[in-house]
Amino acid sequence: MPLLNEEIAEQVKQELVDLAGPVRLVMFTQEFECDYCAETRQLVEEVAALSDQLASEIYDFVVDKDRAEELGIDKIPAVAVIGAEDYGVRLYGIPSGYEFTSLLHAIRTVAAGKPELTEETLAALEEVTEPVHIQVFVTPTCPYCPGSVVLAHQLAVASPLVRADMVEATEFPQLAIKYQVMGVPRTVINETVHIEGAAPEPMVLGKLQEALEGTEEKV
Amino acid sequence: MLDFKLTQPQQEVQPRPVAEQSDQVYDLIIIGGAPAGLTAAIYAGRAALKSLLLTGPFPGGQVTTTDMVENFPGFPDGINGAELAQRIQRQAERFGTQIVMDTVTKVDFSTPPFTVRTDSQTYRGRTVIIATGAVPRRLGVPGEAEFFGRGVSTCATCDGFFYKDKRAVVVGGGDSAIDEGLFLTKFAREVIVVHRRDQLRATKIYQERAFANPKMRFVWDSVVEEVLGEKTVTGVRVRNVKTGETSVIEADGMFVYIGMVPGTKLFAGQVEMDEWGYIVTDRRQRTSVPGVFAAGDVQSPDFRQIVVAAGSGAMAAIEAERLLAEQSGTT
Repeated sequence: MPLLNEEIAEQVKQELVDLAGPVRLVMFTQEFECDYCAETRQLVEEVAALSDQLASEIYDFVVDKDRAEELGIDKIPAVAVIGAEDYGVRLYGIPSGYEFTSLLHAIRTVAAGKPELTEETLAALEEVTEPVHIQVFVTPTCPYCPGSVVLAHQLAVASPLVRADMVEATEFPQLAIKYQVMGVPRTVINETVHIEGAAPEPMVLGKLQEALEGTEEKV
Repeated sequence: MLDFKLTQPQQEVQPRPVAEQSDQVYDLIIIGGAPAGLTAAIYAGRAALKSLLLTGPFPGGQVTTTDMVENFPGFPDGINGAELAQRIQRQAERFGTQIVMDTVTKVDFSTPPFTVRTDSQTYRGRTVIIATGAVPRRLGVPGEAEFFGRGVSTCATCDGFFYKDKRAVVVGGGDSAIDEGLFLTKFAREVIVVHRRDQLRATKIYQERAFANPKMRFVWDSVVEEVLGEKTVTGVRVRNVKTGETSVIEADGMFVYIGMVPGTKLFAGQVEMDEWGYIVTDRRQRTSVPGVFAAGDVQSPDFRQIVVAAGSGAMAAIEAERLLAEQSGTT
């Protein structure tokens, strides 16, 4: 039984018809599959089948530990969306509900290798010299969330120093507690700076810079 | 049960242009990228007006948060709200209206061409349509802003999960308050509805469901005066409006549903507004300033329907076109 019904599958096909380049959906599960691991694997395979430019690769988080470490995968289910290069675009937890949109946009952005950001943002990202880790906590029932995830993934594609994760909070309750997530979207940058709610691009950029200033002060 | 939605993330629009010729004057500038503004853009495009739409920070507006729109004509099986907004936007783009994601910070309607400023640009238009909609009203009490996203929320469907086995306060007595409150009972141990009157305003069917739900409790005739807590929310202080007594309700979070406020701060002193801040328009969507029109929730709290917003957007654009035709005929 497919996860994507015919109507959605057809729409996805249309969305992906003009993909700018090949994209690999590298998915991590394990032999005894976690909650939603099986579904995420199936989803990745179904989506990959909808475009000639897409390929899925399934790894075992335990057996293929080296591969996971190489890609910085620390929990499952995980999907790394990799294009001409690995831009650091990750989705943890199943991208269902509104987050399915985030997956498709990650694919499109990575395929193009070119983010849709303003000149100001791109110029500011040129100045970044330290690694930046953006985690966007979401729930599948949050219509405001994909905007934040898509923006974070765009930032990752724009800068080799930025990596960005979607984290589906209900599948990683321990992380929701650790990062005090009581509402979504909640964006955490470099463990120190956080943003409540859906924020526009200039604000996220400002917070990113704030997070980096914080690290410089500590050094 | 898993579902997969294909929608437009709210930030995906063309980034603003880097440099705009300052001498350029648009026929029409539309402020707001939700159904009213987008529909105006369709009509403006088809009328071959040189038009610009500035979306604001969240294109699509309120409708994008509606899971299923079941009353918009032409969609017999319903349509996801974000998808509907996306389709209207595509339609507007097809007819040539320039859609830019930028937020207006200042306007000057004293003399045409009217000036519309954003952080980085100044635009000028012979006519303007205001379609900035409405946003959820906040209580404006201490603690509300500080705890927003950390225990204070306006979206139970987004954040309900985090209240598993916890206690949540819902403020309000209308359909949204009760509907979202009922949703919260799927997760929360107890949902306490704080309402300033002694009965609900919500539709009968919601009331029946609410009163039948063993997890729901009601605190009548009361208003929230403060959100309490240090790192996280621990409760709210309420005042009974009849007796004046205050008390504390222990809770882990608060969800606020007390209606909407029009997005009109920007236009204070520029166009006439009513006592609630809605822009006053006549039957032809004309504001007190000739050449400036308003459409959608920003000019009427009476209907709050997508189809009405779209309809008034069309009216505003047609009126703008007529005015421009008259002006060019006389020069």
